[in-house]
Parts: sequence; structure tokens; C-alpha cells
Amino acid sequence: MHIMEGFLPWQWCVVWWIIALPCLMLGIWQLKKVLAADREALPLLGVTGGFVFILSSLKLPSVTGSCSHPTGTGLSTISFGPWITALICAIVLLFQSMFLAHGGLSVLGANIVSMGIVGPLVGYAIYRLLKNTSLNIYITVFLVSALADMATYVTTSLELALAYPAQAGGVANSFAMFMTIFAVTQVPLAIVEGVILALVFKYIVALKPDILIRLGVFSEKQIEAARSEF
Amino acid sequence: MAFRYTLELLAGIAVIGFCALFLYTSATMSGAEFAGSDNIGSGLIAKLSGTPVENFQPLIPQWVPPSGEIEACLFALQAAVGGILVGGVFGFWLGQAHGKNMR
Repeated sequence: MHIMEGFLPWQWCVVWWIIALPCLMLGIWQLKKVLAADREALPLLGVTGGFVFILSSLKLPSVTGSCSHPTGTGLSTISFGPWITALICAIVLLFQSMFLAHGGLSVLGANIVSMGIVGPLVGYAIYRLLKNTSLNIYITVFLVSALADMATYVTTSLELALAYPAQAGGVANSFAMFMTIFAVTQVPLAIVEGVILALVFKYIVALKPDILIRLGVFSEKQIEAARSEF
Repeated sequence: MAFRYTLELLAGIAVIGFCALFLYTSATMSGAEFAGSDNIGSGLIAKLSGTPVENFQPLIPQWVPPSGEIEACLFALQAAVGGILVGGVFGFWLGQAHGKNMR
């Protein structure tokens, strides 16, 4: 989902930075608030952030004959919400821009918007929608993780389509072309990511249910039900 | 007694299915190079804009890993940072749980 340095006109770089910066500020503010309220949230932040580091470094082959990487944002989206997730993604994307030439500083805003903001926002909307239903919490984690991943790649396609509309068919046609490259490749990866993160969440529930309850991620009843099943 | 490893089983099936899909694709798809989708996306940008890929220059100067090996090493370093965080915290939590049981 990385837009490479120099591949986005400067006007679009500015637009995406303007959208990304307030979200990052909100993330810093929320992180301070969460850690001030409960220092025990810090290890959970380490685990959820750790998975963004791990999964976004894995370039995996897909059915389209190309490679792509998962995003790993599902766990932190559920545990801490989209703004703190944006902050975690910004750190990972900054590392990749500076040391791996994946992305770049001018396009960092655009990459933060796709991976750190829109993906987690979509995931968070699904989480809020399903949180108070009787659906098993692991299915919720699966859906949040897989769809946050997919939304990231759909957003990258849109960012590029807006900057490079096709001569015939304009933005819509260009969007369809970028979707073929980014989103179709991502479908199997997103499914596997969803299953893996649901499994990781099971271990968090098993080892540290109290922090999930204190943060209000799921209710005590839901956590207890999940501990006795699966 | 209820089966308690449904998620582990599903994760195993998902990973095996993913590997099988890759093996099938690589065996049947002619011309599949498994290049990064980022690079393929850059190719489409070049096509849509009518500008060759090599003409796109960084807006902000950027350090590029001098070889694929160095790049792979740095990607491994990124994964290792994540692995240390995840392993360290799970180990810490496991230790806490054992400590509680001992008391």
C-alpha cells in the first residue's frame, strides 16, 4: 500500500498531510490520557504495536502473481481506537520511509491516511457496530482485522486514482485499475490476517482479561464467554 | 469436554490454504513474477501519467538501501522489533499469571 516517494504530486502530498496531522495529534493526546489512567495498558500497547511492526514487514505472495503485506492494525484498533493506531502506524511507516525506501517523507501523510487512519476507522466502525451484539468476540476481531486491512488498500487505490485519473473514464476507471493491483491481491492476505489476529486476541483474553475489561474493549460477560469457548 | 482449540485449527487451515493457493498460482500462472504490488502500482502511475518510472524523482531526498540483501536485513530488523515487543509482553504476562498461581 506504500505510495513511493516522488510518485504523488506535491499538492496531493500536502492534502494528505493536512488530513493526517490532526489525527496524529489526537492520537498523542489519547495515548497520554490512556496511559495516565492505567499504566498497565502499556504492555498491551506493546503487543498491539508489535503486531503492526511484524505483519507490515511480511511481503507475502498472493493469487494475482504479485506480493503484498498485511497491516496488522486490527488489534490496536479494537484495544485503543483509530487515533492511537494512527500514531503506531506513523512510527512504522516513518521507519520504512527512512530506512527501507518504502514510501517516503513527502508521501508519508498519504500512507498514514490509508494504513493508519481510514483502515482503522473502518475497523473501528465495525467493532462499534458488533461490540454489543451476541456475536462471538473472536469473529468481531476477525472482521475488524480483515476489513481494516482491505480498507487500507482501497484507500491507497483511491488516493492514486484521484492524483492520476485515466484519460478515458477518469477517476472511476483509474480507481478500478488500482483496485485490481492493490485490493484483489489483498483479499487472501486479509483473511489470513484476520484469523491470525483473532488467535492472538484469544491469548490476550487468556492471559490478561482484566486490562481488556478495564479499557472497556469488551464486557466482563463477553470476555468470560470467550474464555469458556474456543 | 468442549474442544478448546478451534481458533488454532482455523489458523492452521488458513495458513495451509494460503500456502496451497500460492503453490497453485505459481505453478499455473505464466509470467507471475511475484513482484511487490507497490512497484506494480508505480508502473501503472507511469502508464497513466505518460511519464517513465525512472523520471519520477523524490520530492524529499531519500536514503535507499544499497542492495536487496541490506533491504531484507532491515525488514528482518523491523519484524524483530515487533517480535521482541510481542514476546517480551506475553512472557511478562505469563510470568505474572504463574506468580499469581504460586501465591
